[in-house]
Amino acid sequence: MITGQGITKTFRQRGGVLGGRDVRALRGVDFSIARGGAVSFIGESGCGKTTLGRILAGLESHDSGEITIDGVSMTSLRPRARRPYFRRIQLIHQDPYSALNPTRTVHQTLAAPLALRARQTGRAKGWIDERAEELLGLVGLDPGHVLPRYPHQLSGGMRQRVVIARALTVDPEALVADEAVSMIDVSLRLGILGLLRDLRERLGVSVLFITHDVATARYIGDDGELYVIYRGQVVERGPVETIISAPVHPYTQALLSAIPVLHGLEVPGGQPVTPAGALEEDEHDAGCLFARRCPFATGRCSAEVPVLGRTGDIPQEHACFHPERRSVVAMPAGRA
Amino acid sequence: MSSAILETGGTAAAMRRNFWRGVWRVMRRKPSRLIGAVIVLGFAFMGVFGPMFHPELLPRDPDRIYAPMSAEHWFGTDGQGRDVLAQVVTGSRYVLLSALVTAVITVVLGTAIGLFSGFKRGRWDTVLMRLTDMKLTIPGLPLLLVLSTVWSFGSAVEMGLVLGLLGWGGVARAVRAQTLSLRERGFIEAARGLGLPTTHIVGRELLPSMAPYIAMNMLIAVTGAVYAQVGLFFLGVLPYEADNWGVMLNLSVFGGGALTTTAALPYMLAPLLAILLFTLGIVLVVDAMDEIFNPRLREE
Amino acid sequence: MPVTPSATPGRKSAPGVRIGGLTVVYRTPAGELPAVSGVDLELPPGTITGVVGESGSGKSTLALSLLNAVQPPGRISAGSVEIDGLGDVVALRGEELRRARGRHVGYVFQAAQNSLNPLKTVGKQLLDLGRSHGVEDLRALVREARDLLGRMGLDGARVLDSYQHELSGGMRQRAGIMFALVLNAHLVVLDEPTTALDMITQATILRIIREVHEERGLTTLVITHDLGVVAEVADRLAVMYGGRLVEQGPTRQVLSDPRHPYTRGLIQAIPRLVGDIGEARALPGRPPTLATVPARGCVFRERCPLRMDVCESEHPPAVAHGTRLVSCHAVEAGAQEHGGEAVAAGAREEQA
Repeated sequence: MITGQGITKTFRQRGGVLGGRDVRALRGVDFSIARGGAVSFIGESGCGKTTLGRILAGLESHDSGEITIDGVSMTSLRPRARRPYFRRIQLIHQDPYSALNPTRTVHQTLAAPLALRARQTGRAKGWIDERAEELLGLVGLDPGHVLPRYPHQLSGGMRQRVVIARALTVDPEALVADEAVSMIDVSLRLGILGLLRDLRERLGVSVLFITHDVATARYIGDDGELYVIYRGQVVERGPVETIISAPVHPYTQALLSAIPVLHGLEVPGGQPVTPAGALEEDEHDAGCLFARRCPFATGRCSAEVPVLGRTGDIPQEHACFHPERRSVVAMPAGRA
Repeated sequence: MSSAILETGGTAAAMRRNFWRGVWRVMRRKPSRLIGAVIVLGFAFMGVFGPMFHPELLPRDPDRIYAPMSAEHWFGTDGQGRDVLAQVVTGSRYVLLSALVTAVITVVLGTAIGLFSGFKRGRWDTVLMRLTDMKLTIPGLPLLLVLSTVWSFGSAVEMGLVLGLLGWGGVARAVRAQTLSLRERGFIEAARGLGLPTTHIVGRELLPSMAPYIAMNMLIAVTGAVYAQVGLFFLGVLPYEADNWGVMLNLSVFGGGALTTTAALPYMLAPLLAILLFTLGIVLVVDAMDEIFNPRLREE
Repeated sequence: MPVTPSATPGRKSAPGVRIGGLTVVYRTPAGELPAVSGVDLELPPGTITGVVGESGSGKSTLALSLLNAVQPPGRISAGSVEIDGLGDVVALRGEELRRARGRHVGYVFQAAQNSLNPLKTVGKQLLDLGRSHGVEDLRALVREARDLLGRMGLDGARVLDSYQHELSGGMRQRAGIMFALVLNAHLVVLDEPTTALDMITQATILRIIREVHEERGLTTLVITHDLGVVAEVADRLAVMYGGRLVEQGPTRQVLSDPRHPYTRGLIQAIPRLVGDIGEARALPGRPPTLATVPARGCVFRERCPLRMDVCESEHPPAVAHGTRLVSCHAVEAGAQEHGGEAVAAGAREEQA
């Protein structure tokens, strides 16, 4: 179980002579991931979803807020004592081409963390190779073929599997998959998504999926939760299928409306939402952060700050004063 | 089959074999590289074994001063009637050994400081880089001139040491820049995320990725060191104790008047040619470094 | 010969393009290997055609061939690219070719990430472009650029004064489109126009591509790995695999009733917002690279569920099925058995 409460992070961008500019990447994000669960963060680039993933993988620190891993509060620990906990959360990079060292074979890549593990647990040397083969088998690769190869001899899909196998060497509790399929060939994406789903079931690994493509979030498990993030704030949260079929926050609706419709197979949803302008981080923040771009904003939206919560009979949590279900998602052509 | 590959010892040996096979493949790709390698190896051979074929003091022949080129004396003789070619050969050991020492010190110091600085960042980085900058601003030649007044540089190792200690700044800066860009790469982040020790990250992940770069710097440092010390001896700021190509140049120009008369011309050209040929060999080999250390380019 | 840019877009009419038997090879240590082989593709005037393919399918090489801009070690080894009003670009050389690029054919590079010079403002680069094409009235050129950017929802003057790093991904891509159109080209090639852009930005760019296409009367070719992008903008869809076109036809028809097993597999492999998760599955195997594309027979056979013996030895020719061209032995064999299938597919199309 991994939880976060009120996580904030501000990056100070170095500007010229006149000093820097603050970019608030995260403005108090709460989340929780159960063991073996699946949580997806979606939003535009620059919304803070990647920062959140990096904080969880221990690659970035946060400014305030509390992260607990298996009930242990990270803020109460010294930085050195935190490391073993964060090691149980492994990051799967977006780019499988830079995530593997081009000068090292798959065997070398896997053996290094396994050797460390063997030393820590007092296992024999033979276990390293055994485990490397086992892990490759687990991610759907043929060890005999893959082990002696260099990364450039593998396809993008195979590399991403090797990256996942490497993450599994430390028996992680959670995998943070940051746009893990966006650089993989289309015909192979489902394979990687299916693998993540499979690992959840077989190993009880939680998957934290970070993406700008909502559709892929469905494929790591239909029991997953979706967090829609806008400018460092969660604006809608709930089960994946609920939010996709009946989103209530205009920003979620805008995101879903933007997904291309496979004309011929699908018909567009009836009430697409198009936001005005583009994501801008440096605007001052009064009221709802999305208000300036929102087609449904009222006076209240620019004055008051909406808080994430449930209202009326809407099943998911949202942060909107005027939640309304709209049919924005494409429908299968047959059913129209 | 897979278990055969997996035996750790076997894998390492097989990989080394593959590496050398790859090196051979890369060298074969262009004839120029092979020529370069032959030249460099030839000079190495000359430096190691050449002086053994000649007596410590070369025989003088007062009857044949500034003799022209002949079958007996390929590059003629000098002002004391000594064979010029023999001097090139006996002088090569000092030149090449000190150049090698310089290159090793330059690269080892430069790489270590650059790696440490770029990997640790923060305070260490600031301190080390200020130090490097300071070092870079010290003009090398005047300092050497000053040093030479108190130090005779009789041994090649001393010479190499001084040049090396003066020369690592550029390499340190360059390696630091490379480290800074590499450490943002996914595989370095992953290694940190996996909790691998810093020695592993620096030694096994960062260093091999920079190997072509370091190798190139090393080779170029060798030629740089040759020029630097030959230049010093040529200028005559160092005593003539050692056999050295630079001393030959100095004597041919200032003693034999090679720039104004033709008699001492072969005496001047011989060491120049040696330097030129050696540089050419290095440049031709440098061309292969990128491909040798990159597994993708090493392949067919 | 200096020319002033046309102030009235659409004066030229959209050109048609006929690519015939196009083969592009790359020189490698293992000999010359084809990246594109025997591609026949027609771009009817005024249409948007989408070419879809995975990595190594040869789609980007095909796009470059339209400008005869394949870089060594690659070269066009056979075939022709006939563009109305320009002739066969494969035969063009030197100055003629340089002039054709920009004036007749506008090219928008992959998501325009790195195609802008980081050291010059967009406006400066625009002037460079104008001068290199002998435009006399540079003021008119700038005005045209500003109008185009304004048309795409940007503050034209501001964008022209900006450096690359001051623009967001979506803005750069729009600047890229402006560069492709500002010399009044009427054939536009967009290579991966939305890769690495967010969904909302992507939707905006796709809308702009469609609108500008109609307003200026263009013939447009969109190269992408994303079927969704093609589905949104293209009238016609061509599917590439291993350097060959395996299927082409009207977009909606191809999507609703894919014939070639690769097209089917690809559509089935797209993560979608609707429909049963269990129905979707990845294609087995991996896309071929330049070195692994089979020299003989069907390029897709190794991943194909309908593979037959003949696929090993003979390349399937493109056969017309109504408005569709399909290259598959199994589809031909099947079509002979069930002649009625096409009718049923047509009926399904009507419903949609």
